[in-house]
Amino acid sequence: MVPLALAGVAVALVWLAPGLLARPRRLRRAPRAALVAWQAVSLGGVLAALAVAPAVLPLVLEGDDLRSHPWLVALALLVTAVVLGRLLLSGHRVGTRIRQARTEHRELVDILGEHDRDGLVVLQHPTPTAYCIPGRGPRVVLTRGVLDALPDEQLAAVVAHERAHLRARHDLLLEFFTVLHESVPPALRSATALAEVRLLVEALADRAAVRRSGAVATARALVTVAAGRAPAGAMAASTSAPVRLHLLALGPQPVTATLAYALAVVAVALPLALLGFAWA
Amino acid sequence: MPHSAHAPRLGDLERVVMDRLWESTVAGGDGFAGVTVREVHEALEKDREIAYTTVMTVLDRLAKKDLVTRERDGRAWRYLPADTREALTARTMRRTLDDMEVTDRRSALLHFLDGASTDEIADLKAALAEVEARSDRPASRGARSRRPR
Repeated sequence: MVPLALAGVAVALVWLAPGLLARPRRLRRAPRAALVAWQAVSLGGVLAALAVAPAVLPLVLEGDDLRSHPWLVALALLVTAVVLGRLLLSGHRVGTRIRQARTEHRELVDILGEHDRDGLVVLQHPTPTAYCIPGRGPRVVLTRGVLDALPDEQLAAVVAHERAHLRARHDLLLEFFTVLHESVPPALRSATALAEVRLLVEALADRAAVRRSGAVATARALVTVAAGRAPAGAMAASTSAPVRLHLLALGPQPVTATLAYALAVVAVALPLALLGFAWA
Repeated sequence: MPHSAHAPRLGDLERVVMDRLWESTVAGGDGFAGVTVREVHEALEKDREIAYTTVMTVLDRLAKKDLVTRERDGRAWRYLPADTREALTARTMRRTLDDMEVTDRRSALLHFLDGASTDEIADLKAALAEVEARSDRPASRGARSRRPR
């Protein structure tokens, strides 16, 4: 029964939970806790998937010694190794691709941009935009357009937002979810998970911007950058800007945070407890 | 591929060399036919101690990255920037903004805003009014202004 339960938990956490976690809009008002819950649910799903085969063993052995059934043990290890292998392969692919893109981009920006002592780089380009290049030798890149379009207070909000990404290594979080996303068989992939995590990361960085310059300056910066970009990005289906502005108006929600943390603990503890139970 | 210990220095030199090539292009006008390693080396040597072979390596790297093109001129190569600074900046930005639409590459850079559509602007302005109205009620926090440039 336990292996079935573990398989059930794995499917539930990998396949069903993302849809359920993305639904309650309240969770977005506690982005830090929500991100912890997302990570825990994903980690729990991976643990459950890895634990299925080891949990089958005690059932098949019926009290025999492990050493008397070497082929059974080997089979269980193989199943677990395949799951782990998919993860590692996906991790390698995604990691290589992301690092290469970053290095190429950083080299170009270093040639083209004007650097200042605070690690900010300014590109002579009229489109108002700002972004950061995470990884080794991180950079915050601003365009001349964004410097011209935003007053100091709003610009400081934008920089605080990007620095929050770099400081909290949001890139690693996104990489983790991209790796998970690609390691799951295509039929079971849920685009919701990745999209929601992206939004939460932005909402969390917006918090840093609000701490620096206040909600109004942050909101104004978002609207100005959106307006300056709209003609070029008119094809974009839906963006994070409306939700983020809405979140800025609502403010944080501590009760939801506590619930999200509790969920996170359960999601990781459940597969471990089930595996322990199988061997008890 | 040089090891990372040397990469930052070569990276700095790439910038210096590209600046030099762009300057020469502007100075050379329409008839500009590129510069040789020797010419770049002579120009750079005025400001810093730099080996001829280093300049050669940097130009080689830039050629591999398609940032410069080169043409044979007798026994030497003449190097030209593949694009003007403005064109390369525009191309870099275009790619950066386009990449946001491609899931694959989206995790490489973290943008302040993932894009915008014209339809949304009116909604955004309405939402902004909401934020402003809300902040009028509780005392808004003062933050000192500092232009991060």
